Amino acid sequence: MERELSSSSNAPVSRKSSLRALGGELRRGLPGLAFISPWLFGFAVFTAGPFLTSIYLSFTRYNIVSAPRWVGVQNYAVLAGDPVFWHSLELTLLYALAAVPLAVLAGVGLSLLLNFEVRGIGFYRTIFFLPSIVPTVATTVVFVWVLNPQIGLVNSLLRAIGVTGPAWLKEPKWTFASLVMMALWGVGGSMVTYLAGLKDIPVHLYEAALLDGASALQRLRFVTLPMLTPVIFFNLVMSVIASFQYFTQAYMLLNQQAPEEATRFLAVYLFERAWRYLDMGYASAMAWVLFLVIALVTGVLFRTQKRWVHYG
Amino acid sequence: MAERARLGVRRAAALLGSALAGALLIGVLFAPSPPLRAHPKRIEVRFWHMWTAEWKVVVDRIVERFNQSQDEYEVVALSVPASSADSKFLLAVVGGDPPDVMTQWNPVIPTWAESGMLTPLDELMSKEEWSTFERTAYPVAKKIGTYRGKLYGLAVGVNLWAAYYRIDALQEAGLDPERFPTSLEGLVAWGEKLDRFDAQGNLTRLGFLPSWLGLYAPMFGGGFYDWQKGQLTLDTDANRRALSFLVERRSRLGLDKVTRFDSAQNAGSGIEWPFMTGAYAIAADGQWRVEQLARYAPELRYGVAPIPPPQGGKEHAGWSSGNFMIVPRGAKQARGAWQFMKYWSGLENPERAAEFYTWGGWLPSFPAVAAAPAFQTYLQKYPQFRCFVELMPSENWETAAPVPYQVYLADREAAADQLASRGVLTPAAALAALEQQAREELVRRRRLGFAD
Repeated sequence: MERELSSSSNAPVSRKSSLRALGGELRRGLPGLAFISPWLFGFAVFTAGPFLTSIYLSFTRYNIVSAPRWVGVQNYAVLAGDPVFWHSLELTLLYALAAVPLAVLAGVGLSLLLNFEVRGIGFYRTIFFLPSIVPTVATTVVFVWVLNPQIGLVNSLLRAIGVTGPAWLKEPKWTFASLVMMALWGVGGSMVTYLAGLKDIPVHLYEAALLDGASALQRLRFVTLPMLTPVIFFNLVMSVIASFQYFTQAYMLLNQQAPEEATRFLAVYLFERAWRYLDMGYASAMAWVLFLVIALVTGVLFRTQKRWVHYG
Repeated sequence: MAERARLGVRRAAALLGSALAGALLIGVLFAPSPPLRAHPKRIEVRFWHMWTAEWKVVVDRIVERFNQSQDEYEVVALSVPASSADSKFLLAVVGGDPPDVMTQWNPVIPTWAESGMLTPLDELMSKEEWSTFERTAYPVAKKIGTYRGKLYGLAVGVNLWAAYYRIDALQEAGLDPERFPTSLEGLVAWGEKLDRFDAQGNLTRLGFLPSWLGLYAPMFGGGFYDWQKGQLTLDTDANRRALSFLVERRSRLGLDKVTRFDSAQNAGSGIEWPFMTGAYAIAADGQWRVEQLARYAPELRYGVAPIPPPQGGKEHAGWSSGNFMIVPRGAKQARGAWQFMKYWSGLENPERAAEFYTWGGWLPSFPAVAAAPAFQTYLQKYPQFRCFVELMPSENWETAAPVPYQVYLADREAAADQLASRGVLTPAAALAALEQQAREELVRRRRLGFAD
């Protein structure tokens, strides 16, 4: 009885003390919150708000001028039977399958080369990094000229060795290949992170491998690559997300009369529906399907990491 | 001692740097900014347009003339980048602070009018003005601005297409410029005589290559819309004949050859127009090229003739678009906007407005403007322009189909044309696919609750 009394009389006291502790925490955190409040405000208004609103809009008919009109799941139902949507989703998936592994291979390969301590290595690193900071629009404009079938640099070089180059941005399969090639152009950004990962590998692991008589290839296979897998995993996830949101280059080429079969990516079709055809509700539904696809693929990647990513 | 001297130099440099930065800041903050308004006491009419460079100069001159012509309004013009103009306009309307008037050339009227974003101009016009417009405007000017029987856009520059031919190329091939072909088949035969190839068989000059279904379908009696019945006409015999004709000429030359040759040409800006550079001997293009040819290739001898119809086809037919002025819903100075619109278009005073059209090399919406002395003087200076003026009265010019999903349809029409031209689909299959897509879009819209 006494115990009961004491425990019941203690309960409000402990609640009070925990509330007081929470209040103290908040007070202590207030200056920090005040410092990040501009970002918090921006995040709430420009990211979280539109993000949540788009869930509601995906169930409406909305042209941004008139008030949204509830249509239930019609946008999703119509989307399921929209051949352009399925084609653009297929194209986006194909692009992710082609460009992401190539970008990882190229990034890792370049970083391995640029990890050698040779004379002028800083210069080489800068040269390979530079394309990644050139604005995408400028890169695309340059590539439109480089890949021009008649006067472009690539076909001129091919012609010099007696090869007739393809009509790069005029035929669907070559347009797709060109877009993948353009993705490799910007690989310098991920290359820097691979390089940082390589620098982070403890030297004693290589020393131990050398003592065991491991060849250069074996050191790469059993030391370097396993130790680099966290960085590879990070870049893989980020590249997959970026390739599902692939827009600028494809949109620019579509407007330059490139074949639409190879340029109408999901994000391009979404933009067209939203801003050209003023179908914001339908575009919101597309955005949510895209979000779910990205979440699914990222989730699958996270599930696989236990098997091949080493955080040792 | 040396350390102290180094510190002294550093301090002096820091002080000097701070003083310069401070002076710069003061200079920026207190520098006199250029006045935005020349007549701050007048009512401001905000005008957006998409012209740049030499065209912007012309527009600014017209605005200045209007501002000088009266003392109630001041039009303040703003050139908005064309690539983002539509989205800026939409956001401005949604935000409740749209311009009072905007010049457009994109196919936006049906979609925007359907969304309630545009003011029907007949709400701003007096009865006399409406009657004058109805009675005198060229048929094509009415088509450009009308949707569901209401006028939403007032054309201030109509675009028509005709055939430009280089006299030097014709004479070199033994063709008489005075006996220009009277049929499309005859024109294509001329084109074949004018084609030139290098030793490897690559094109070095294109004689004449008809392309773009929208332009040629009306000549074959087709087009994408039946204005009498008010319905789409996509997969029709006439359109199939037109598309087959276009693809056939391209195929005869070789699709790959044409693609490669065309990709090296820049059809965009004036000085690089392939006709001007000699890459095309005959080219179908718009009336604005007359002004550009006068400016960039004054020595070039050329002529302009209507694109002849095919055997049994329609004369003086083709595609037309134009620059038109719209007034958004929510415009604060819709009345002032209308004053400016009728001033520029010539609805109010054709003789005065004629001069504006000559500055831009534009085709007017009213015959009275074309008949005005200033415009006639212009035609004497540029006789090639007369061909376009003579084409204006024709009823056979088609514009974008006035359906609420016009932009979508225009994209699909262009895609069907492109797929057939690249040989991916046969003309019949491309048009059947276009018809199917339009039908599916209509079904989609109805499922979402739209009437059509």
